Amino acid sequence: MKQSTVFLCTCYDEIDRVVDCEALRTRLLKDPRVASVTVDEALCREGRMTGLAESMNKHDESVLVAACSPLARGDRLLQDLAKEGIPASRVQLVDLREGCSWIHANDGPEAEKKAVDLLEMGLISLHNKEASADVTVKPAGRVLVIGAGPAGLAAAAALARCGIAVTILERGAEPGGTLGLISKIYPDDITPAERLGPLREAIEAHPDSTLRPRANIVSVSGYAGNFRVRYTSGDREYKETFGAVILATGGRIFLPKGHYRYGELKKVITQMELEGRFKKNLVEGKKAVFIQCVGARCDERPYCATTCCPASIKNAMRIIEEEEGQAWILHRDIMTPGNVLESYYRRSMAMGVQFIRFSPEDPPKVKGIDTVESVEVRDSISGVTRTIPADLVVLSTPLVAGVDTPVLAVHFGLQLDSYGFFREIYPLHPVETRIDGVFICGSARWPVSSEQAALQGEAAAMKAVGLLAGKTLAASELSRVPGPKLGHARADNDSCSGCGNCAAVCPFDAIRLQRRRDGGTFRMVSRVNKFRCKACGSCLSVCPNGTMQIPEASTRSIFGMIEKAFS
Amino acid sequence: MTESGSHKPVLVVGGGVAGLIAALDLAALGREVELVDSAPRLGGQVAKLDKIYPGDHCAFCPLWTEIKRVEENENIRIYLTSNVTTINPEPEGYTVTITGEPGWIDESLCVFCGRCRDICPEQAIRPLWEHASPPSFFIDKTQCTQCGTCPAVCPTDAIDTRRPSVYVVLSVADIVWATGFREADLTPLAEFGYGSHRDIMTSLEFEKWTAESGPNQGRILRRSDKQPPRSIAFIQCAGARDLRLLPYCSGVCCMHALKQAQWVKRRSPEIDCTIFYTDLRTIGRDYYDYGLKSLHMATGVNLVRARPGFIRPMPDGSALALNYEDTEAQKIRLERFDLVVLNGNLRPSLVPSSPGAPAPVALDGDGFVDRAGDDVSRFACGFSREPADIAEAVLHASSSVMQCVTREKGRG
Amino acid sequence: MTKTGTPEIPIETTRPAVDARLLVFACKWCGLIGADGAGRKRIALPPNFRVIPVECAASVEPDAVIRAFADGIDGVVVMGCHLGGCRFNDANHTAVKRLELLRELLDGTGIGRDRLLVSFGTAHEDHQFAGIIQDFTALIKTKKPLSPWIPFRAGAVKEYR
Repeated sequence: MKQSTVFLCTCYDEIDRVVDCEALRTRLLKDPRVASVTVDEALCREGRMTGLAESMNKHDESVLVAACSPLARGDRLLQDLAKEGIPASRVQLVDLREGCSWIHANDGPEAEKKAVDLLEMGLISLHNKEASADVTVKPAGRVLVIGAGPAGLAAAAALARCGIAVTILERGAEPGGTLGLISKIYPDDITPAERLGPLREAIEAHPDSTLRPRANIVSVSGYAGNFRVRYTSGDREYKETFGAVILATGGRIFLPKGHYRYGELKKVITQMELEGRFKKNLVEGKKAVFIQCVGARCDERPYCATTCCPASIKNAMRIIEEEEGQAWILHRDIMTPGNVLESYYRRSMAMGVQFIRFSPEDPPKVKGIDTVESVEVRDSISGVTRTIPADLVVLSTPLVAGVDTPVLAVHFGLQLDSYGFFREIYPLHPVETRIDGVFICGSARWPVSSEQAALQGEAAAMKAVGLLAGKTLAASELSRVPGPKLGHARADNDSCSGCGNCAAVCPFDAIRLQRRRDGGTFRMVSRVNKFRCKACGSCLSVCPNGTMQIPEASTRSIFGMIEKAFS
Repeated sequence: MTESGSHKPVLVVGGGVAGLIAALDLAALGREVELVDSAPRLGGQVAKLDKIYPGDHCAFCPLWTEIKRVEENENIRIYLTSNVTTINPEPEGYTVTITGEPGWIDESLCVFCGRCRDICPEQAIRPLWEHASPPSFFIDKTQCTQCGTCPAVCPTDAIDTRRPSVYVVLSVADIVWATGFREADLTPLAEFGYGSHRDIMTSLEFEKWTAESGPNQGRILRRSDKQPPRSIAFIQCAGARDLRLLPYCSGVCCMHALKQAQWVKRRSPEIDCTIFYTDLRTIGRDYYDYGLKSLHMATGVNLVRARPGFIRPMPDGSALALNYEDTEAQKIRLERFDLVVLNGNLRPSLVPSSPGAPAPVALDGDGFVDRAGDDVSRFACGFSREPADIAEAVLHASSSVMQCVTREKGRG
Repeated sequence: MTKTGTPEIPIETTRPAVDARLLVFACKWCGLIGADGAGRKRIALPPNFRVIPVECAASVEPDAVIRAFADGIDGVVVMGCHLGGCRFNDANHTAVKRLELLRELLDGTGIGRDRLLVSFGTAHEDHQFAGIIQDFTALIKTKKPLSPWIPFRAGAVKEYR
């Protein structure tokens, strides 16, 4: 039987004061599973555990360290041993300090019993631990960017500057996305060409970057480092392997049918339609009334779409300046956070844009017979209802989730939020998703300005490059917790009944049912993708047969610990 | 790109949320990182918060994962209780000096036995912070009288009250600023009454006071008499959007107030909470919905569009009087509140405390890093760059790192 | 052999009549941080509980909870991260649902739903961990011991796979 080396730390009396370590030592030496027991006053001291790795490797032993809490020094020890080639499956930490001596200082005999129990639990856990097989892949050097708007182009440009080959798929005939519809971008009035130009140059500078227009995804399979994607572009079909995928498919413009007589009266247009007219140098209004939050911050779409207030401010200023006109912005709150946008707001007030606040219970009314004549609004701050003579009404509508988002979510295994945007790993990984290697940015993630979209594209590119930085990518590196992954789940084919509970519950979409020959017939059995699996254990909790196991934390080990808990 | 041996390290100034992610991103690319923070621990301002929006869970837990990753990463060297004191350009980078005042108890040797704490006559020894790994004590240098008692009782000889300042000179390729924010003093703005009564607090003071791991274990109490307040006023834009102090909008305060009000309601639904705002900026992902949740709770939060005329202690000092114009009702009111929380006075940490003193890097008129200035100021993230919430700060960090590593290729 | 064919297994007679053995499955993240914190503050706790660290509360099988009761445990606590704070993409959400369903089974088998305490997100704070242990111990002590289950110990049931 494989034996264990046991180290007991007295922690300069902190443990020994309550729990007699020498007595524990004597008891442990009687256990046939224990090869040797060393009592030390401070295992964390430099050099105390050296030679341990060598000796362990020579005798193929496992080690149990009974000392302070894993959160104190234990995980550092695991890390050091891992560096020496000793995996976590051969090490067991038992907490006799924070978990015993320090909380039961007045309960000597009971604390001793607890220490004995904890050691028994530790030993049985250690002896039932196995190592998961790790797998590695040589990551494909190419990255797929889906969407050629500001987010996608910024991501591709950043990747290109890093020397990474990029394939950009664009649904339309040309790059630009929604940004292509805009005349000038706030707050500095640059044009879309000025924003996108440098990005396209950077992409073209890489000899192996390709932009494929009129593209459509056909199928996706694989995992981080090895995504196999089939897609069409125009009439041709392609099959490529990518190390990572960045989704930058943007949002869709909401058309406010039924709001404020849009579609019914002439000169009631959306912000995007106004942009289109500016681009053609056509303006048809000298008294423009902008209405904010049209179809946003309402029951159907309870969110603020971020860009509408600054966009209205920008266009209102343009009408005052270029058309020598007047402009009113009817709003519920002016959303110009931060320093740049707040000063932009102040500037527009100084320029003469008039801001009228209304309450959602009493929205403005657009008046006119064939075309817009006036807008009646109750100014909630003065309480006075005013009628503004208007010859143009501009409706600010939100970006909603892109039309491709649900299909792409299925292809790539992503989840959507309640508004239809791609879900991220909240709170500190906003461009990462539950699938390693698949990143989201721009308005596909949440409505943002083109400047923010470009910034997010760069951030997504950063995460992609970080993933692909090494020559090989190991499944054990793709951990959601500090340190390497615990291991991965494994299905025992012989006992699998093919019920599919595991595949349904896996939070990382890491399990598939596959057909397997069984004599003259077929069975469905579960198969775990080791790269995607994070060893959370959800699958083993729902498996009716005990088929799903994580070798480092098997049912046998947990049941063993339960049995020994109060021995 | 990944031939890290040919590159010098990158200096990341600030170990808060933005700095941690920037350091991890650089390390993932194979770069060496020198991470400096003036506090005795990593995590910055977010680590001091109790809860974060819109997830409504503790601030610390997700941050802890990143702090551990940074501590375990061999490419990242951490300098705590340290500051960058000089920056001098050199070919292909900068020579920087990092000055640190290390604690007198060596964290790597301390076993947290507490003998020093028990014996200290000034009670100047306290635990470093609750989730420090490994746990250790520190000596409050302002209270220590150097009596010399503690070093003798330490079983590991971890105490050295004569530990010298650390002075490190480094040659780095680039600098990424992630210094975050601190509070600006509201005393000059008389209408807020800050400093005139113990129950007028800033929102960060209130956060600490009512934190579950704080002095009152999460109970909502007045600071003056430790009794539960009947009503709390949250005042937005205190100091912000104000040409006298901070002309910009601090960005995060509307959500912060909604979060604090919601948590007050969860713990003590009988406390009346009112948020006095100008524009309720619930812009980011899921923020508006979060705001609705606050309003539609069983006993919801009240919203009044107003800025205070004055906030003063009542003549008997028992509560606070708030005078304001309810702009949407066109009425001037005088109301009594038991507690007032002021929100808005966040300014970039790099702004020198004494006006006229030099800052380590070029700042714009509002105190944010002037990224259009010279090379030193080119990479900034989080609040040092512009008012930013957690998501924005980490996005800045990753974007800055990408720009930093790709820019060098073009450098002559 | 008894009439029903179950092998005669000696029943413990030395166990006190009123006892409260708790088993705590604590996730290594939020769950253990609370326990660790209580340790650092040296909060005095009753010695009647044992902690089994798990990767995620989602890995706590219903079988394991039942097995705990079968092995003589009087109360089971499952501690995990706050809903919304799970590092494994909300695996704790399904865990909560699963454990709530388990309560029905516990009622049906006479163990009683109160013997399972599910505490997500509250164990992070050290004084809360202490409070949970103390309060739950007090609750369990008010209940009759689960004596009919004791015969299932000591090898009566074949070792699990």
